Amino acid sequence: MSGWVAVRLIAGREIAERLQGRVIRVMTLLTALLVIAGVTIPGLISGSSAPTRIGLVGTPAQALAPSLRRIAQAARVRVSTSDFADDAAARRALAGGRLDAALIAGPSSARIESEQGISASVRAVIGSALDGAHLRSELALAGIPLTKVLPALTPVPVTVAELHPKAPDQAARDVAAVAAALLMYVSLAMYGGAVATGVAQEKTSRTAEVLLAAVRPRQLLTGKVLGIGATALGQLGIAAVAGLIANAVVHSARIPGSVIALIPAFLVCFLAGFLLFAFALAAAGALVARQEEVQMVTTPIMVLLVIGYVLVYPAVSSPNAGWVRVVSFLPPMTPMLMPARIALGHLAWWELPLSALIMAASVYGMVRLASRVYANALIHGGPRLGWRAALAIR
Amino acid sequence: MSLALELTDLRHRFGDLVALDGISFGVGEGEIVGLVGRNGAGKTTTMRAIMGILRPDRGAVRWLGHEVGEGDRMRFGYMPEERGLYAQMALRHQVAYFARLHGLEREAALAAADGWLDRLGLSGRADERLVALSHGNQQRVQLAVALVHEPRLLVLDEPFAGLDPEAVDSLSEVLRERALAGAAILFSSHQLELVERICRRVVIVDAGRILAAGTLRELRVRFPAQLRVRVDTDEDWASALPGVTVAGVDEEGVLLVVDPGVDPQTVLRAAQARGPVDHFAFETGGLLELYRRMVSG
Repeated sequence: MSGWVAVRLIAGREIAERLQGRVIRVMTLLTALLVIAGVTIPGLISGSSAPTRIGLVGTPAQALAPSLRRIAQAARVRVSTSDFADDAAARRALAGGRLDAALIAGPSSARIESEQGISASVRAVIGSALDGAHLRSELALAGIPLTKVLPALTPVPVTVAELHPKAPDQAARDVAAVAAALLMYVSLAMYGGAVATGVAQEKTSRTAEVLLAAVRPRQLLTGKVLGIGATALGQLGIAAVAGLIANAVVHSARIPGSVIALIPAFLVCFLAGFLLFAFALAAAGALVARQEEVQMVTTPIMVLLVIGYVLVYPAVSSPNAGWVRVVSFLPPMTPMLMPARIALGHLAWWELPLSALIMAASVYGMVRLASRVYANALIHGGPRLGWRAALAIR
Repeated sequence: MSLALELTDLRHRFGDLVALDGISFGVGEGEIVGLVGRNGAGKTTTMRAIMGILRPDRGAVRWLGHEVGEGDRMRFGYMPEERGLYAQMALRHQVAYFARLHGLEREAALAAADGWLDRLGLSGRADERLVALSHGNQQRVQLAVALVHEPRLLVLDEPFAGLDPEAVDSLSEVLRERALAGAAILFSSHQLELVERICRRVVIVDAGRILAAGTLRELRVRFPAQLRVRVDTDEDWASALPGVTVAGVDEEGVLLVVDPGVDPQTVLRAAQARGPVDHFAFETGGLLELYRRMVSG
């Protein structure tokens, strides 16, 4: 039998065992629901960014409508206007929630009424419109023709130059990089434990000795990690598809094509990271003498995972910092930090191939190390083993 | 008989502890060999070395004349001393899974699993999970796992431990049947009367070394023969005979240890000279007796 047939059999058994349990179905459903909620709720709440409805009471106020709309558009503030004959009608509309603010303008003063106040930007837009109207009427009263003062009223042109412009979709790219790290973190937090527990279970139940009579430790570990990894990917895939469908329905966020193009690279980072951590966790699981010790032996590895995840946030905000460049080449950190750097796109040509090479070598080395620890630790009865002892026994 | 399995000078240490100190023996096709020795003598380590679970520091494990390879081990069956299977897996799928790991195709594996569960009296429970079974029945499943791929070599570490008498008989029956089919079988046991009953040859190990190996008859020859003689006399007639030592006297007569080379006829004549002899026989010590004499001497 070729090695891969055994790996496939072992992976198949792992998947079947996991799908048997009710927990996985509940967890999958729950994850999918959480993602759907995460996508739709911001979309529903963002109803608050609807235009501010301003009621214009009386002729002087209603005359402001065109300039109000023009100023609001320039300031990127969304407003809509409607006309009211008197204060009472406007107040009824305010109380009924059909209006956000009512503007009552006199010849030299104005009043804004609202139920719970208005935003500073809407206040500024209304103020600017009122000032313009006031200036024009005062000039007319003073007999100064508008054409004479027009140059003085024309705003000084200001151009904004961006020396290091961000890509227009940079925010979306950053979110994608953080999401990739989060995915990595969540999948290992959810399933990394399953790898360690599964190995520990086979050791403490002595099933491993029967298995090792038929297959090599490397096949056994690879099958286990791939089987559990496939289950994780399947579950997260279902959640991702649910999220995308929900997004298509509520139009919560627009996903730029450039972000979709990043997905293959992120997926490679994810797979490499999952393999590296999962094999390390498998080796840790082989060290225990009792199931209860799994948590203890896996903690240092999980801490490393958390550190990587926490570093993503500063890395996304300054992906070109020296420390980010250095740390992103350290194998346990690469799967978290490389996506952030890829998302910014300022990578030297050699950085990705080098990183891929280091990562591939680390995964290979980890498979070998884990197999050695596994083979040594499994036939070792007695108390929990240290890493050094497990590597030294022959 | 040509040896199918051949161990040559296996040596292994766990730190300061010498586990194997030059173990060499063989098992022929169709032969059942018993591995006997006290706890910690090196039985399990020897078996693990055969199965490739442990790589000995030195020495060779050969199968049909060549160094054991991965392909050979596919045709080996193993039952470790510390039993272990998947507690939550149904019997049928569990046994079939191990059959497939040994190279059987899916359908053949399921058929073989059904066959062995049936044979071992578990056919009605094939869909139950292992954890639902009694200890004895779990042991049967473990045996089914070792046998399901019809191995050419069976290595069983304490297969009879914890079995009730009926299960012991049925397991003995299965082992004989597999041997008749040509399988080489090596098993360890502390139940020496069982070993004596089932095995053609015995290997006695102690402290990682082989104390003795051979058929029971061959082992007996290594020790001075014990002769029991009952003569109707109260006199000590035997201790003066050359090459003869009196090992004991009781109502069954005297027990004499006779050096190799001493003609029993001279002993018989000396006895007859004192009175009528109504019992004159060599004591054929069982394996238990031999074992005791070996490990104490």
